[in-house]
Amino acid sequence: MKSWMKSWMKSWIMLALWLVASLAVAACAGHDWATPAELARAAAGDDSLRSRLLVEWRMPRVLAAALVGALLGISGTVFQGVFRNPLAEPYLLGSAGGAGLGAAIALLVPIGIPQWLLLPLLAFAGAWGATATVVMISRIAGAVDAAGLLLAGVAVAAILAALRSFLMLALSDESVSLQVVLSWTLGGIQTPTWSGLGVLAILVAGCVGLTLRLAKGLDVLGLGETMATSFGFNVRNFVAVAVLIGSVVVATAVAYGGLVAFVGLASPHVARWLMGPLHRQLLPASALIGAIVVTIADALARSILPPTEIPLGLITAIAGGPFFIVLLARRLRS
Amino acid sequence: MRAAVQALIATALLHGALSFAEAQAVTVRDALDRSVTLREPPQRIVTIFASNTEIVAALGLVERIVGIEAFTRYPPEVLSKPLVGGRLGFSVDAIVRQQPDLVIATPARQAANQLVEPMERIGVPILVLQQRNVAEVIANIRLLGTATGVQQRGDDVAAQLEARIQRVERQVAGLDRPSTIMITGRIGNGLLLMARPGSYTADAIMLAGGRFAFEGRGLLAQISPEAILNADPDVLLFAGNQRDLDELISRPGWRDMRAVRTGRAHVVSRSQLLIPGPRTIDGIEHLATLLQPRAFQP
Repeated sequence: MKSWMKSWMKSWIMLALWLVASLAVAACAGHDWATPAELARAAAGDDSLRSRLLVEWRMPRVLAAALVGALLGISGTVFQGVFRNPLAEPYLLGSAGGAGLGAAIALLVPIGIPQWLLLPLLAFAGAWGATATVVMISRIAGAVDAAGLLLAGVAVAAILAALRSFLMLALSDESVSLQVVLSWTLGGIQTPTWSGLGVLAILVAGCVGLTLRLAKGLDVLGLGETMATSFGFNVRNFVAVAVLIGSVVVATAVAYGGLVAFVGLASPHVARWLMGPLHRQLLPASALIGAIVVTIADALARSILPPTEIPLGLITAIAGGPFFIVLLARRLRS
Repeated sequence: MRAAVQALIATALLHGALSFAEAQAVTVRDALDRSVTLREPPQRIVTIFASNTEIVAALGLVERIVGIEAFTRYPPEVLSKPLVGGRLGFSVDAIVRQQPDLVIATPARQAANQLVEPMERIGVPILVLQQRNVAEVIANIRLLGTATGVQQRGDDVAAQLEARIQRVERQVAGLDRPSTIMITGRIGNGLLLMARPGSYTADAIMLAGGRFAFEGRGLLAQISPEAILNADPDVLLFAGNQRDLDELISRPGWRDMRAVRTGRAHVVSRSQLLIPGPRTIDGIEHLATLLQPRAFQP
């Protein structure tokens, strides 16, 4: 018991240190690397152009990346818990397709609402609306189980992706190119203002609170549907509620970061290796791991190919994929 | 008494300096309907996209350009300038490194999306220009003349270009307009990209005495070769090189197209007709000789 406690504490401290380190490195990283001294000077209120860039642009972006990563980690954990499937990921039930369509509308259709507001709003609405539609379809079909949800999800995602592609081809022109929409779908942290960052932080805290309330149910569901039902647990209702909450989390992530591949899939696995299967620990640990991964990936995206920025989702997939394979192989061998 | 006179002189000087500064401050409205104020004529300008670089160069300010993006090839003096962006986007860091006092961009390829907000937040003036027709291209020259403190020069350059356009318009006035298609690119699956109505390139074709073969259509820029064969235009324009055009029109079906049979399939310059800058007027003059050859026979 004592050694278990010790390794548990060690894991938490290690994750916290990793997060602090990655935030520090990411704040330095860019096409022009900043020294810690420059960062300190900027934070102290220096008024050079470069300091303003660091304070008004880079620092909020680094923190936003961490928060988006946390959301992806949480939502991945919820989805893997609900589907009791290690391959489940946050975008499984149409949220990617819905967010993509919402973003395409926001970017291409002149509606008269400023884009900084419209884009996250429609991305959120699309992501959540798509998943809600999937849940509704499988309810109407009387199949609110993993297979029913997944099949409805595949169908809805296909329709939404096709609609998005048509909008992209039809509405792009010399001024708004396909590339704008494509690049959004490949992920990229929208840099919020400091007050916008505050809003995001509150949203993340809310998401953590909501999903922690699911922790116990997810643990029970992990025993298997039959076992859970025999405990008097209403599996169908819980699945629907958990999926809808999980998709609120992923929709928030999508609104601020576009579609970031792979983090939602990998973070819960790493968290499970460190913390074991109980969701009360798993959810916050996965949030920390997601935050670390996206912070580092975003720093790479901003710095390795000057003068251009690589879409974040490409970095997380290219760098995260092999990393995950190595971890998996080591895990399976031991 | 002496102190009072000194104070009076100082106040007068200060006032003079202030009103001088005020006289120099310029406010312009850009294509996104943003009001942009420049306190003094910018000396370090980052120009995103070839068209904006060419306009600033045409205003005689090429030495004030401190940053360009990777696809700018003209004029040659700018080729050694630092790059602040390329195909994958634009770098706020790289722009700030140049300590610019003005950034000029166009909404294409995410530039406005990526740059307007950060530049506004850190306090670097950024102008976004659009070019949906030739008149807007000319208006942009005047706008940048005003913004950079060389208003007279901007007016002169714009007026010269306008006079050249009017001359072409007079020469082609009243003539039969040949139906025209301009191919601007090819995509892997065999589809072709076409200049669409509502673009400055299409406007250039009209000004040069042409008529759109696809009247009223233009939802998608990409169209199938079949649609072009079906439209059977009088003139086929190809923005690219002769070898690619020869390859295209030697295909089955294309050989029998009216434009090909009558020798009216022509190559036109991409840098003139696909970069909305001063050279677009060269393009219009050249187009006119292709579309209305009789008007230009000696």
